[in-house]
Amino acid sequence: MTEIIIEAVKVSKYFGGLKAVNEVDLQIPKGSIYSIIGPNGAGKTTLFNCISGFYIPETGDILYYGTPIQGMPTNFIASQGISRTYQNVRLFGNLTAMENVLIGLHNKLRSNWLDAIMHSPRFTRENSWSMEEAVSLLDFVGLKGYGDFLASNLPYGMQRRLEIARALANKPRLLLLDEPTAGMNIQETTDLTHFIQRLRDELEISIILIEHDMKVVMGISDRITVLDYGTKIAEGSPDEIQSNPRVIEAYLGPGGAALAEKYRSQRRKNNA
Amino acid sequence: MNKETIRTGSQKGLLFGIVMIFLVLINFHIMAATMISKVLGTNVLRGAFPEVRFMIIFLVIFGMWAGWSAVRREGSTTNKLFEGLIGGMTTGLVVALFGLILFFLLETQTDVRRYLTALSFASIDIFLLGLRGMGILTLFGLFTLTGVLGGALAVGLRSQAVANFIKKIKTSIRNLRQRITDSLPDNVKKYGKYIFYLLLLVLLLLLPARWGSYNNFVFGMVGIYVILGIGLNIMLGLSGQFMIGIAALFAMGAYSVALLNSPFPHGLMWGFWPSLAVGVVMAVIGGLLLGLPIMRLRGDYLGIVTLGFGEIIRILLNSDLLTDLTGGPRGIQNIQQPTFLGMPFNDVSYAYLIIIAMAVSIFLYYRIENSRTGRAWLSIKEDALVSQATGVDVQKYKLLALCVGAAFAGLAGGIFAARNQFTGPNDHTLMVSINVLSVVIVGGINSIPGIILGSFALRGLPELLRELETYRLLVFGALLVFMMIVRPEGLWPASRPDLEEKGNTGLKEDLDPEENEGRSDD
Repeated sequence: MTEIIIEAVKVSKYFGGLKAVNEVDLQIPKGSIYSIIGPNGAGKTTLFNCISGFYIPETGDILYYGTPIQGMPTNFIASQGISRTYQNVRLFGNLTAMENVLIGLHNKLRSNWLDAIMHSPRFTRENSWSMEEAVSLLDFVGLKGYGDFLASNLPYGMQRRLEIARALANKPRLLLLDEPTAGMNIQETTDLTHFIQRLRDELEISIILIEHDMKVVMGISDRITVLDYGTKIAEGSPDEIQSNPRVIEAYLGPGGAALAEKYRSQRRKNNA
Repeated sequence: MNKETIRTGSQKGLLFGIVMIFLVLINFHIMAATMISKVLGTNVLRGAFPEVRFMIIFLVIFGMWAGWSAVRREGSTTNKLFEGLIGGMTTGLVVALFGLILFFLLETQTDVRRYLTALSFASIDIFLLGLRGMGILTLFGLFTLTGVLGGALAVGLRSQAVANFIKKIKTSIRNLRQRITDSLPDNVKKYGKYIFYLLLLVLLLLLPARWGSYNNFVFGMVGIYVILGIGLNIMLGLSGQFMIGIAALFAMGAYSVALLNSPFPHGLMWGFWPSLAVGVVMAVIGGLLLGLPIMRLRGDYLGIVTLGFGEIIRILLNSDLLTDLTGGPRGIQNIQQPTFLGMPFNDVSYAYLIIIAMAVSIFLYYRIENSRTGRAWLSIKEDALVSQATGVDVQKYKLLALCVGAAFAGLAGGIFAARNQFTGPNDHTLMVSINVLSVVIVGGINSIPGIILGSFALRGLPELLRELETYRLLVFGALLVFMMIVRPEGLWPASRPDLEEKGNTGLKEDLDPEENEGRSDD
């Protein structure tokens, strides 16, 4: 049994009468790519916000390496090694790409304002280290040479990658990616898929992924959880999810499973 | 010549005519003529009326402006000239009608100064060029003529040939500059910055001793506003907290120095330097106390609360309740002057003190801005939620920004009180806060050169414009409006630093950005 990096136990989050997330259980094994899918409004991002500390769940626990972290401030959760990106890119737009990454490094540095005034040895050491680190992170996500561009002036695909670079600066053990391929073309999506796999393989980061592009999800996920109306309706490997009738109905409506089965058999016949 | 020509010409002419009437009603024509005569080097006594020829110069300029603006961009040359003519004629007509009324007032000796204070007989007489009845016709003729002239000028200056000529001059200037920088030896290029600073230092050392106490006073005020501006910029520009009550923190510095250093009301004589330190500390405490309850507020709400804070402090200082403690509305007089190595301070030493304080503030600002702390502040300004989720302790850094900014404000206040040898509640009104806010915004947020320029423009200019007396604020307001249209980001907008170079040291050769495009994975 591999180690569980993060675990959600019966997590619920309500907005007024709306049960955005309803008693969801999750267990993410260390070193896996774990996808959360579901129709729009299923509560995927709300669950993310609970994990990263933006929301405090009404009930339930979120255990990170066995310790509860729900209700902690977001900066504490970040300092524990959980980084995230956002559904609609939220960079510090008026700052340069380098500065964005340097802010991501905030937790890894200790020098304070007094060090900055005196240029103490700690400041000098950390400053040059952080500059090099930021450049190598930009290089890692393929943004070398763009470090001095304002983040808001970068093309959309680069902004997405810059957001990942900022998240990686925190040296996360768990990375939450909220629809990373949204608005990307096929080539960019393929590139990003490979990139996510690299994150897991080279940096040994566990990844939770919210994604609508089924090609990406089915291609790289180790396990998938499906949410619908805030409730978990299925969990399993990509193959299991693809053939799960409840999942198909959630996406296609009642009768969808039968419809899907019909198309599948038709395709099988054509192939034969 | 068509309908459109007549319409544009007469519209503009009408507008300029009305503006002219307005200017006469507020007596601006006298003012303008005085200014022109001053520029041309004639010595005009205060309150005396200028000569008519200067009045004519003013009218010619005005008429040409009217003709110029009546000309549209498109259309043939004759059309344009005609537009200028119509513009000038309409202006002339409006002004002449107005002149007719004034002439009647003059003839019947009706004194309307009860209603229009500026409209004296002498003023009317000058407006009619001293020609009385003939003046009306002269005005009409003058405006018609200058309207055509203005139109011709517009035709000439907007033509392709002139545009090409200007372009040519621009390129040759650029080439020349390029050639000069190329021809300079590498050493000069490398140390050019330091040479510039050295020259600036020499200038700053020489000027205060040379240019008299009035200028020292004016530029001391500018310097104090630079320090205040830096303080506010840390709160507003770096950490994004909309602070309007900086006058309160300024007051804390000023009152600390005043109370600890004057015979009345407490008789404490701590000396300037220790009390200045206390002033800075008091301002920091003030910033901290203000910061604690407002941490959760953002934007306009924060502005309203800090505005209230500023007013509360001023009203407290004014109140009977604290009269025993702070001297009440009369303020604190006879603040003891500082000494340095046994030498008493005069206006020159204050100028040096302010220059040093300014330099130290700028130095500290740059050091903090280009650090982990400064970047954390900037990220809070951009997006506090994301900043916190990236690992920044938002509340702590916001408080820190308030405290550091307050320290600068306290420093400025302490120097201000000692220099004036007096401070009272009226030195710390809402206007002070708003002035500092405008210094930062007009100059350019997050830009030190901008703040210095802004202080000069907003604090230095009004003092230097004092010669224009009543029109000081008018000119000043016009300048502000003009500036906001031309440079909405401030006089000297900030730019973000280039950092990538710094981190490139340990890495291999640079990749060309173009070559790198599309390499998201490799």
